[in-house]
Amino acid sequence: MAHKKKNRNVGIIGIGQTKHSSHREDVNQPELIHEAISLALKDANLTMNDIDCVVHGNMELFEMVHQPDLWHVLGTGAYGKDCIRITTGGTVGATIACASDNLVASGMYDIVMAIGFEKLQEGHTTGGITNMADPLWFRKIQAGALTGSSAYDVEKEFGLERADRASLTYRIIMDKHAGLNPNAHRSFGLDFGQIDDLIRTSPRLVGNLKLIEMCSQSDGACCVIFACEKKAKDLAQTPVWIRDHITVHKEESFTIFGYDRKYPVLKTHKFAAEQLFKRNDIKNPLDYFDVFEMYDPASWWAIDWLRDFFALKGDEHLKLIEDKEIMIGGKMPINPSGGVIGSNPIGATALLRVAEAALQVRGNAGPHQIPTPVKHALASGFGGTMWTVMTMLEKELNW
Amino acid sequence: MAEYWGVKVEDIFNSMQERFRPEGAKDLDTVFGYDIKDEGKWKLTVKDNKIKIEKTDDLSGSVATMQADGETFVGVNTGNVDATNAFMGGKVKVEGDMAAFGKTGKLFRKFVIAQKEMTTKDYLADMFATIVPRFKVSEAAGLDASFAFDLGGPDGGKWTVFIKDNVCTVTATIEGKPTVTLEFNDAKDYVDFILGKIDSQSLMAGGKAGAKGDLNMMASKWPVLFEKYKDPLAGNVPQQELIVLKKTIGLNEKFSTGPIMGKFLKGLKEKKIYANKCPQCGRMQLPPREVCADCRVRVNEIVEVGPKGEVRYMDIVYYAMPDPLTGAVRDTPYGGINVLMDGCKGNETLPHFIRKDQIEKIQMGWNEKKGTRVRPVWEENRIGDIWDIKYFEIDE
Repeated sequence: MAHKKKNRNVGIIGIGQTKHSSHREDVNQPELIHEAISLALKDANLTMNDIDCVVHGNMELFEMVHQPDLWHVLGTGAYGKDCIRITTGGTVGATIACASDNLVASGMYDIVMAIGFEKLQEGHTTGGITNMADPLWFRKIQAGALTGSSAYDVEKEFGLERADRASLTYRIIMDKHAGLNPNAHRSFGLDFGQIDDLIRTSPRLVGNLKLIEMCSQSDGACCVIFACEKKAKDLAQTPVWIRDHITVHKEESFTIFGYDRKYPVLKTHKFAAEQLFKRNDIKNPLDYFDVFEMYDPASWWAIDWLRDFFALKGDEHLKLIEDKEIMIGGKMPINPSGGVIGSNPIGATALLRVAEAALQVRGNAGPHQIPTPVKHALASGFGGTMWTVMTMLEKELNW
Repeated sequence: MAEYWGVKVEDIFNSMQERFRPEGAKDLDTVFGYDIKDEGKWKLTVKDNKIKIEKTDDLSGSVATMQADGETFVGVNTGNVDATNAFMGGKVKVEGDMAAFGKTGKLFRKFVIAQKEMTTKDYLADMFATIVPRFKVSEAAGLDASFAFDLGGPDGGKWTVFIKDNVCTVTATIEGKPTVTLEFNDAKDYVDFILGKIDSQSLMAGGKAGAKGDLNMMASKWPVLFEKYKDPLAGNVPQQELIVLKKTIGLNEKFSTGPIMGKFLKGLKEKKIYANKCPQCGRMQLPPREVCADCRVRVNEIVEVGPKGEVRYMDIVYYAMPDPLTGAVRDTPYGGINVLMDGCKGNETLPHFIRKDQIEKIQMGWNEKKGTRVRPVWEENRIGDIWDIKYFEIDE
């Protein structure tokens, strides 16, 4: 019942992000971060003087800089301010949003700035991810963030052909969405006519996980400014309210693949969604939410997870994809931004989900704004060792 | 044949002999095919540090064949199209041995587009034709102004750029009363000025150029209203070298195992596989853990399991994974397996690797179907490490 314990309401009043790219050798880390911060301050019509606390997040193992927040002060403007550094995993961006929400709600600070950043080209992403595993044994065995297990699950249940086509349909929808988002790292201009071709020719990474289905490695930063209800109403025309968020993880489920129906593995997305919707009294999330910014590291995960997040039965999740209901203009637009497959500066990625969902609620996301009004938005974060963060955003303070 | 960026598909092939780098062909004895849509097929034979390129209809015998359309092919070879994006997006395909085809990358020097000359007239036409696309509407709010250009000399001309109601238009005359008029005696100087070859002060000082009207509008507003003009001949070559520092970190680490993991690792030394059993829910943990995270109780009962078991899941890894301990790339493909040890049930599986030559034979099991039976293959010298098991192999 986290939200009911909330001391006061918190709204998002400023959003900024860089253009995400694999080619940002023109700036160093503080400079890259500074771009996002300047845009967020401009968006909120504030200066650094208005910020009470800075929450900094990234994956330190990727660039191998310890205490990056100290170096980054040149870009963050956190000099002389309270500053907290957080590292979780792929979820770090979502976690700094949770932390900022909690810090403001607690009454400790009125205005908190969350900064998520990554320059993946500066380190070795897969090497960094491999180091997350238990060093006593599993580090030597695991294969970074790559696994074919989701592909295997979907294939096993629905047959190879339908599974492959659903995954590529999802992938191409994300490519089309990314094509609308000027900040997205990559959009190849794919079309649905290429599905069979891509299934045949895209190189396999692990099992049936293909190169085209995997997310990018990007450089980029995102900054979101959170304010207490009073300040949010004073300062912002359309603050976006944080209704609730939930974090669930279970490290051991990362290594167990028994495929025994009598012993189901706890799926953190499913568990988190059930808890979150139950305590907010949301009976049918698919009807309730107007948009979902999902952390989709690969199209296989994405199609499998839709069922978990929305408590769907049977093949309802595949039908949503096959009927293109997840496109902008569909019943449940997923990732109008192009998602993680489109841009993935990891420390910023999960914060971008919150930021893009908030932009949709505000109605000024840009060319990828969905055409119908957005009152209720959902964002998810995902990280190594089965870690889930979900955030609910609202246009009105009326729940 | 169509031209792309001024280059024909056959230009790329015809220049291969000349661009060939023998040092990139060392130990290669192979044949590659190129199938360029609507343009034809070419066969590249590499042998004895020499190449032969021929146009042919018969690509049989190629270990790998690249398929692309002419524009993409020329684009990738001239640097106008990003190769990775073209490949990922399915615009370039490789049939056959992908890894072998990758070696063609080192066979040739880059194709360089022959520099073509642009006259002052060409430049002026291009500069004013790109005014509207370079216009930044976000900077023009509330602006109502006109910028006139009176450029003299044999190649000169007159232009006016109007900005009103957030719209930018260009005429090839000077109309009305411009907000500011820029005058150059010789249009060539204007071109050199825009290309950054000559600065405004020396032009003004030398009496070669002048301005009438609201000079401030030209000096401060013009540069923000328009994207900088890009010289089409300059290509995408960055004008400055970007200095990127390369670092390699090597670290020595040592981790204490603790008593529970210690027992597991010591067991491996003795060719035994130990799990531990939760006193509350009865599940086995493999490798053993200090507590059962479900029941939140200490788990002290150590139970020997296996060493044989059944494969429940296998990931075939094709991607060249770096070993995080050494940085060396693992040999691919390899099979990561989850083994349900005899004595374990449900999800109590142990991840490890399968013998490389047996990947194809592995069946994954579930409730109704038994997976392939496997057994560990032990190292001769065991040190208490997960690699004391070299890999698992089929138990026949």
